[in-house]
Amino acid sequence: MSAPTVEAPRRVLSWRPGPVALAGAIAVALVIAGELVSPGFAGYGQLVNLMRVAAFLGVIAIGQTIVIIAGGGGVDLSVGKVATFAAIIGSRVMAGDDGDLVPAVALALAVAAAIGLVNGLGVTLLRIPPFVMTLGMIGVVQGLILAYTGGQASGRAAPALTSLVNGRLIFDLPGLLFLWAALGLLAVWLLRRTTFGWNLFAVGANRTAAELSGVRADRTLIVAYVLSATFAGLGGILLLGYTESVFLDLADQYMLPSVAAVVIGGTMLAGGIGGYAGTAVGAIVLTVLQGLLTTLDIGGAGRTVVNGVVLLVLLSLYGRQRRLRS
Amino acid sequence: MSTLLEMTGVRKRYGGVQALDGADLTAVGGEVHALLGPNGSGKSTLDKTLAGTVVPDSGEIRIDGEAARIGGPRDAHALGVAAVHQQLSIVGDLTVTQNVVLGLEPVRRWGFLDHRAARDRAAAALERFAAAFSGRLPLDRPAGTLGPGEQQIVEVAKALAREPRVLVLDEATASLHKEQVEVLFEVVRELRAAGVLVLFTSHRLDEVFALCDRATVLRNGRTVGTVELAATGEDELVRLMVGDLPHPADLAVAPPPAGAGAAVLEVRGLTTDRLRDVSFTVRGGEVLGLGGLQGQGQSELLLALFGAARITAGEALLDGEPLPLTSPARAARAGIALVPGDRGRQGMFASRPIQENLSLASMHRRALGRFALRASSERRAARTMVDRLQIKLGSPADPVSTLSGGNQQKVVIGKWLLDQPRVVLLDDPTKGVDVGAKEEIYAIVRALADDGAIVVLNSSDNRELAELSDRVLVLFEGAVAEELAAAAVTENRLVSSALRLAPGESL
Repeated sequence: MSAPTVEAPRRVLSWRPGPVALAGAIAVALVIAGELVSPGFAGYGQLVNLMRVAAFLGVIAIGQTIVIIAGGGGVDLSVGKVATFAAIIGSRVMAGDDGDLVPAVALALAVAAAIGLVNGLGVTLLRIPPFVMTLGMIGVVQGLILAYTGGQASGRAAPALTSLVNGRLIFDLPGLLFLWAALGLLAVWLLRRTTFGWNLFAVGANRTAAELSGVRADRTLIVAYVLSATFAGLGGILLLGYTESVFLDLADQYMLPSVAAVVIGGTMLAGGIGGYAGTAVGAIVLTVLQGLLTTLDIGGAGRTVVNGVVLLVLLSLYGRQRRLRS
Repeated sequence: MSTLLEMTGVRKRYGGVQALDGADLTAVGGEVHALLGPNGSGKSTLDKTLAGTVVPDSGEIRIDGEAARIGGPRDAHALGVAAVHQQLSIVGDLTVTQNVVLGLEPVRRWGFLDHRAARDRAAAALERFAAAFSGRLPLDRPAGTLGPGEQQIVEVAKALAREPRVLVLDEATASLHKEQVEVLFEVVRELRAAGVLVLFTSHRLDEVFALCDRATVLRNGRTVGTVELAATGEDELVRLMVGDLPHPADLAVAPPPAGAGAAVLEVRGLTTDRLRDVSFTVRGGEVLGLGGLQGQGQSELLLALFGAARITAGEALLDGEPLPLTSPARAARAGIALVPGDRGRQGMFASRPIQENLSLASMHRRALGRFALRASSERRAARTMVDRLQIKLGSPADPVSTLSGGNQQKVVIGKWLLDQPRVVLLDDPTKGVDVGAKEEIYAIVRALADDGAIVVLNSSDNRELAELSDRVLVLFEGAVAEELAAAAVTENRLVSSALRLAPGESL
C-alpha cells in the first residue's frame, strides 16, 4: 500500500529548538539523570523542593534579565548584595511582628530602588561601564550593611511572611512558587506588552536608532537599573521569609548565578534579544544541576568546574543554532 | 613619459548598485591626475580598488606594464601605492610618530622596536609639512589631540612614509585650511618632480585647476574621457561630468505649493560646528530638496532640525512656535520625523521584529496610559503601514533584517508615518535601494506632501532631487550656496551649481 505523499509543512521541517527549548530539555535530562543515579531524585516532594530553591534565583534574575536586555554591556553585579541588604532591613523593621510587615517591605524595596537609581544614574549620566558601576556598588552596599547593623544582623521574619513563602497551598505547593509565577508573568508582560519593554529592547538592539526614534534611552536605562535592584530586593525579602532570620551574606552568592540563568535562558549579553521565560528555565537548570551535584556528593571545587562546563556547552550550542538559522 | 598606471574595464557591484561599470584610467609617472565626476560616479570606488580596500569584480590593473593583482592593502603597498581617504585612518591614542610608521615599524634584533629610527622616519615624512604645524612637529603627541586638518596632514605623511610611486589623495583637502592646502600642494609638486604619480580627487574645482595636469572624468561608473586641463574650460569640464543628453526628469513638474493656511517651518541662522548660518522657509505641501556634493552639511542640517546635533546659534519655528531642538524625543513630540541616512546604524533595529520596528515611534499614542500595549491595536497599526507602503514580508514577527533593503527603508519610513508627523526629514532615503522600491519611495514622498506635510529631502542623487523637489537648497561646506526654484531645479543645474563653486564664493 502506497501512502499518499503529503508534503510536510515547511515550518515543522525548518523548526529548530530555540534556547528556551534547549535549556528546558537539559533541565529534564538532568532530572532523569538524577533519578537514575539516585532513585527518588525525581520524586514529587523533591522536585517541589528544587523549584522552591530555584524561585529565589528566578526572582532575582528578573531584574538581571531586564538590565542585560538593555544592552551596552548592561549587567547588574550588585543584585546579591542588594538582596541581602533588603532582607536585613526587612528583618530589623518587621522584627517578627506581622503589624510591621508592610512598612518593612516598603522600606526595604525603597532602599533597593534607590540603590538601583544610583546605578542607573552612574551608567547613563556619568557613563560608567555597568560592570564597573555595579561592582563598585557591591562595596558601597557592603559598607551600608555594616553601618546599619554594626556587624550583627537583628530581627526576624514576620510569621505572615514566613507562611506566605513556606505555607502549603493547592497541590501541596509552597506559596513561594505562586509568587514566583505571578512575578514571572508580570516580568513577561512588562517586557512584551508595555511601551517600556519595547523601548528596552530597542535601546538594547540599537541605542542610536532608539534615540533617533524618539525613545528616551537614558530614562529607559535608569528605570531598568531601578527595576533590577527592586526585584533583587524582593528576592531578598522572600529569602528572609524562607530562612526566617538573616545573616550578613544571606543572598550574596546569587550574583553570578543570576547572570548565568539569564544567559542559559538565551538572552544575548550584547542586548536586544531575550526574555524572561528563558531566564526562569535557566534558574531551574542551574538549581537542578546543583541538586544533582549535591546528590552525587561532589565537592565545592568539582561543582564549580561542572557549572562552568555546562554554561560553556550551552552557549556553544546556542551559537551553533544561530548559525544554522542565518 | 611611459605609462605608469593603466586600469581597464574595472567593474564593481555593491548589492543592487553598479558602482563601477567598466572604468578606465591611464596615467604616467610625474603627473598630477585628477579624478572627477558627480556624486556616485565611482571616483572613490576606483581609488579604493587601487588602494586594495575594494576588490573589483572584474577588470585589469597594470603598473609599469605588469599585470598587478591587488587583493588587499598589503598588495597595494608592495606595488608602491599609498592612499589617503577622506575618512581618516588615524589611531587617536597613538602618537603622531606611531601613526606615521604604523605597519612599517623599524625593528632591531629579536624584534625589538627601534624607537629612534621610528622617530627619525616620522620626522622625515612630516618635515615637508612643518609649515602646516606652525613650525613645531608634534611627533610625540597623541594624534587624537590634533586638529582635524593636522590629522589629515599626518595621514598624508603616513602615506609618504611608504615612499609610494602612486599616491592617491581622495578628498584629502576637505578638512584643511587654506594655508595647509598650500603646503600640501607644494609637497605634491615636489613629488611630481620626483616622478611620482598623484591621483587627486576634490570637490573644489579651483583646486583641480590649480594643481592638476590632466583629468579623467567618470559618470555612472564609466570613464567618459580624459582631458588636458590647461586646454579645458570649466564649462567644458562640467558638461563632461553631467552629460549632454537632458534626462526627461530634468523637466521638473512642480506641483503648486499649498496656499495660505498650510504649516510653515522657518529656520533662522542655524549654526552648529558643521553648519553655518542656514536660513530658509518651507511650507506644508512642499518638498524642499537639499543638494550639492555629498557631505556638505545636508545630513547635519536634518539632524539639527531633529534635535540630534548641538546647536550653537539660530532657531527653527513651526507655525511661529519655536521648535525644541534639544533632543530627538522632544522633536518627535513636536511633530517632526527623521528618516536617517544610515539605515543600519541609525534607523532600524535589525534583530527586532518588523512589528516593533514599525510601532516604536508612535506606540505610546495607542497604549493605555502611554504604557500598556494592546497586541491587537499594534498589529492593526503595523498592518496599515504594511498595506499602505506595500512592504513585502513573511510575518510581522520576523526580524526586520530578513527584509530587502528597500523594504527595510519602508519600515523605517512607516515607523514615522504612524506618528502622523507635520515635518518629515528624509536623509538620502533611496540609498542602496533597488529601482522598483525607489519609485515606491518617491510615491510615498509625493503623497506626504500632497497630504500637507512639510518635506525636507536630502539626496545624493541629483536626478531624484530634480524629480521630487519644488525647490532645492544647494549646500556647500555647511552653508546655503544657492537656492534653485521650481523650473530651475534640473539635474544639469544641480550638478553645475554644486561643482562650480570656489570655497571663497560661499563664505
